[in-house]
Amino acid sequence: MSDELDLGLAVLDHQILDREGRRCGNVDDLAIEGGPGEDARVVALYSGPGAWRGRGRVLGRFAARLGGGGVVRVPWEEVAEVASHVRLKKTAAEYGLGRGDERIRSWIVRIPGADL
Amino acid sequence: MKIFSVALGILAAIGGFVDIGDIVFNVAAGAMFGYDLLWVVVVGVGGIIVYSEMCGRVAAVSQKAVFDAVRERVGFGAGLVTLIGAELTTLLTLTAEIGGVAICLQLLSGFGYRWLVLVGVVALAVVVWVTPFEWIERIFGYGGLCLLVFALAAYELHPDWGAVANGFVPSIETNDTLVFLFFAVGLLGAAMTPYEVYFYSSGGVEEGWTPKDLGVNRANAIIGYSLGGILSVILMIVGGTLFLLHGIEPESLATVALGAEVPLGTIGLLVALVGILFAVSGAAIDTVFAGAYNISQFFGWEWGRYRSNAGAPRFTAAWIAMLLAACAIVLTGVDPVQLTEYAVIFSVVALPLTYLPILLVANDRAYMGSHANGPIANILGIGYFVVIMVVAVSAIPLLIATNVGQG
Repeated sequence: MSDELDLGLAVLDHQILDREGRRCGNVDDLAIEGGPGEDARVVALYSGPGAWRGRGRVLGRFAARLGGGGVVRVPWEEVAEVASHVRLKKTAAEYGLGRGDERIRSWIVRIPGADL
Repeated sequence: MKIFSVALGILAAIGGFVDIGDIVFNVAAGAMFGYDLLWVVVVGVGGIIVYSEMCGRVAAVSQKAVFDAVRERVGFGAGLVTLIGAELTTLLTLTAEIGGVAICLQLLSGFGYRWLVLVGVVALAVVVWVTPFEWIERIFGYGGLCLLVFALAAYELHPDWGAVANGFVPSIETNDTLVFLFFAVGLLGAAMTPYEVYFYSSGGVEEGWTPKDLGVNRANAIIGYSLGGILSVILMIVGGTLFLLHGIEPESLATVALGAEVPLGTIGLLVALVGILFAVSGAAIDTVFAGAYNISQFFGWEWGRYRSNAGAPRFTAAWIAMLLAACAIVLTGVDPVQLTEYAVIFSVVALPLTYLPILLVANDRAYMGSHANGPIANILGIGYFVVIMVVAVSAIPLLIATNVGQG
């Protein structure tokens, strides 16, 4: 990881990959701490519909409601690498990420040939 | 062996390039204005080459497909607007392709249109569900090669080749400038259909392209789309030779197929219909994947046509939902050819939102390093972006002013 990172362009809205390379959400928001006069630093990233509420105005709020409003907070210490994607140190399940895929999978597997 | 597989890929690209938008707009433009709009096809094919090469390069260097780039570059709010626009135009395009599938099946079998819509949709769903993607690409690409029967038809119709050559010289010679411009916009839109770049860039990411594949990317974009563009040119020549002379407007796909029947007889008609069927079915599959790619990338879901159906659940659910929605729209009985015209024109409006993020990412040295756009890619990219902007702004006014090209 380089020392300097443009958070707006290099982290926010990027694809999150878990330890196994599974796509498990996007960086929907960042938690930044630090008062006036102090160094601001990222302490966590947020992923999930709940984080859309503060973005994209009415449309974002509508999408958040449609998506159920859930959100996962991942502490910044869990980030293993920021390259073209944001890679985490553990698996998606350990953070509770990618649960939407699990929910839909339970439906998809009932159709014959789901593993084709 | 490598040359052999490249050749197979190119064959599939020729058959896979043409979709219902190209078929409708090229033949109709020929019928209205003879060969005068041929140069616009060349401009359009140039545009799709420039932007596909750019998308493919971004995919190879940064592993980002179009809607990854859109989300990262324009943020959640504007990105969501772009996504909605892209999904609506992609759905409209899919609807038109499915209508085309049903018409071809109807012309070949004589059964009722609505039943054949259902048959077509179920067949497409089963093919996508069970068939590995490499096969899908090949089957429909090779089947689409039947469209080359129109090349033979064009030859047999003895067009005035001097006039054809003249058509490649840019000019606007007509007494109905608005309708001419409407068709020009439609031809550009049909050649630069956005779903093609969504599909192409996502495919590059899925195939795990790296900077080593940049040569393959460039060759694919340039050779594949140029050869595909030749089919578009051939369709316009057939339209210009047969229908301009006889004063028929090709309002349906049946009339388009006449373009092969008149010079070549029943065999020509059958081969043409089979070619249209495969081309349009293949395009329907590309479109349905494009829609699923976009939404999955925007929201960060697992995606991929090379994964099993259960391996990328929301991606799978997305394409099933798109297919069902398109099926429902076609079953209302809207005319597929008219739907095609609207699909192409609305796609044109969505083009700038798709291409601007690509242009930005392709210029970003933080991602692209030494593979960022050079001067040539930028002159072409920005030049085409200006064209796209002009076309996008004028598309809807022209649609209204010309009453969908009726004059």
